[in-house]
Amino acid sequence: MNRRKLFAAALALAGAAVVGTSQAAEPVRIGFSIAKTGIFAPAAPSQLNAYELWREQVNARGGLDVGGTKRPVEFVQYDDQSDPAQAVRIYEKLITSDKVDLLLAPWGTPHHFAIAGVLERNKFPMVGNSAASVQLRDLKPGYIWFPTSAIPDRVAESLVAMMKAQGVGTAAVTTLQLPFSLEIKKFLMPALKSAGIKVVADSDYPPDIKDMTAVLAAVKSAKPDAILSLSYPTDSVAFMKQAREMDLSAPFMMVLVGPTMDFFGKIFGPAADGIVTVGHWSPHQKNWQRARPFFDSYEAQFKERPDYLDSALAYMSCEILEQAVAKAGLDRAKLRDAIASQTFETINGPIKFKGVENASTPTALLQLQKGEAHLVWPAEIATSGFAKKDGWPK
Amino acid sequence: MSSLLSGQLLVAALATGGLYALVAVGLNLVYGTMRLLNVAHGEFVMVGAYVAFLLFSTWQIGPPWSLLAAFAVATALGLAAYRGLFHRLLERNQRVEANSLLLFFAVSVILQNVVALTFSANERAYRHLDGIVTFGDVSVTESRLLALVVSLAVCLAVALALRYAAVGQAIRAVLQNRDAAALVGVNVVQVQRLCFAFGVGAAGMAGALISLTQGISPFMGFPFTIAAFVVVILGGLGNLTGSLVGGLLLGFLETYGIALTAASYRSILLYGVFVGVLILLPRGLFGRRAARR
Repeated sequence: MNRRKLFAAALALAGAAVVGTSQAAEPVRIGFSIAKTGIFAPAAPSQLNAYELWREQVNARGGLDVGGTKRPVEFVQYDDQSDPAQAVRIYEKLITSDKVDLLLAPWGTPHHFAIAGVLERNKFPMVGNSAASVQLRDLKPGYIWFPTSAIPDRVAESLVAMMKAQGVGTAAVTTLQLPFSLEIKKFLMPALKSAGIKVVADSDYPPDIKDMTAVLAAVKSAKPDAILSLSYPTDSVAFMKQAREMDLSAPFMMVLVGPTMDFFGKIFGPAADGIVTVGHWSPHQKNWQRARPFFDSYEAQFKERPDYLDSALAYMSCEILEQAVAKAGLDRAKLRDAIASQTFETINGPIKFKGVENASTPTALLQLQKGEAHLVWPAEIATSGFAKKDGWPK
Repeated sequence: MSSLLSGQLLVAALATGGLYALVAVGLNLVYGTMRLLNVAHGEFVMVGAYVAFLLFSTWQIGPPWSLLAAFAVATALGLAAYRGLFHRLLERNQRVEANSLLLFFAVSVILQNVVALTFSANERAYRHLDGIVTFGDVSVTESRLLALVVSLAVCLAVALALRYAAVGQAIRAVLQNRDAAALVGVNVVQVQRLCFAFGVGAAGMAGALISLTQGISPFMGFPFTIAAFVVVILGGLGNLTGSLVGGLLLGFLETYGIALTAASYRSILLYGVFVGVLILLPRGLFGRRAARR
């Protein structure tokens, strides 16, 4: 008897809860999968944090403006275990069974590619973010867009132009054998050649390398004007540590992925000053009024700095979605047209898409100066001048 | 090729090899005495790395205390796992290897994800002992020098203890033949518990050393598990001196192999030698030959 009463009371309570929520504005449900476990998990928080920051900011403003009505934002998120096939199943489920209102992107190039077909089939538009490959131009435009301007062929082009401007005559290239770095190398080598920059040392190495002394000894004996380390975070650290140990340095030193991540500054401090890296965003660019507030609130909330690529791109994709929804509401066809045609105000300045690509933001390079990442190329968005790397601090 | 003779390469090879050896000795001790296949060994390395990271970033406590703390925490975790999971498995003594593989796999997944959920999955790092020491033509970061010295010292101590200390002889007895050891009065259960505790503790200490030299993440352990298995199989399963030599050999192979060929051949070289040893000397470089009559 008692148990039955309890059950009835619970039912009544549950009913009240349902009524309670239906009285407030119905939340907008935004779905995504992200690598919370598996090999990509260490990279994904910089993206997930940006999503969460955005959600909190939007809800603090009273909700997401859906064609005039403000509705709270709610996330429906799953762990894709760093597996693109899993992401495909999750996005299928988000669209057909969870029936989410909007989608945000998973982490990484392979996942973006994997779910492009799902978006296309379900005619569901999604703004991507943490993906960079020339192959993304092969994706049929229409349901996926990429705000990045760090696409390998353009990165190679900008890098060589900047090296030329700095009077670099010889270069050493060390490349990690993973897709993004190899793709950059593929475009970099011919670009160096046609610019008349001689490659005096060139070696590729596998991801599980533990010690780079032998690789760097070859670079050191070649005495290049520029050292380009096409590396990912883990081997970027190995490169920096061992280059410093061996007192290997050059006026122009570039490290591909890692220098704009929070942990990099913590491990190297002043030794990282002078390192050039890829990125097209910096909080120091005063013309982008949203840039500094984003940086500050991210740092305040997560007690670390945002990643200049992934966090910034993830936040930009949210800004774009927000502005498109304000105009077009949740109707997918209208939303798609809005994303494809509008110009959006973002932390990286105004952005307009052409096909799947960001047609507004120039491909740029950053340099670490006194612990801060400044845009140093091209001149139109630079926040500081390039300074030659002056050896390693004692 | 004058660079081949440089002290720089030698130190690099010793530092890498020493860490491999330290990680592998623990793995081999656990396998040798209990036939437990610890595929979560790398996760104990990771736990040690996080202990050192937290100690330093919260209270600025570095070595030697962080090394001891990492050893202690990994040991405590190991003992808890031993008590809760493996003690009964060993007592029942049925399909120990296969079952331990499954259990350790679970331990590995749980440790990774608990750390990821508690501290978030992003890469962490801290800066400590990063001055550069120079002697002759060799210059090395203090943290790498420390890793080299500590790992070689611990390995040497283990080798000496096994040879001369009473407890070491008991361990060797269990390594050779558990039942016979029990018959002559060795407390096998105690020896096993000790080996388990020390094995994962050494992994934790290695993790603390590694955290000084590279960024850490909850998923950093797996490559160390693989490297440790390669070392152990090279040196001979259950042969502890073999894994000391095997670890150093792997370090030298990696460093000098790259210097002689190209970095892209690293994996081919490493696993080539590994497969070659398995074909020619299936019991490892120092494994005892099967008894011939």
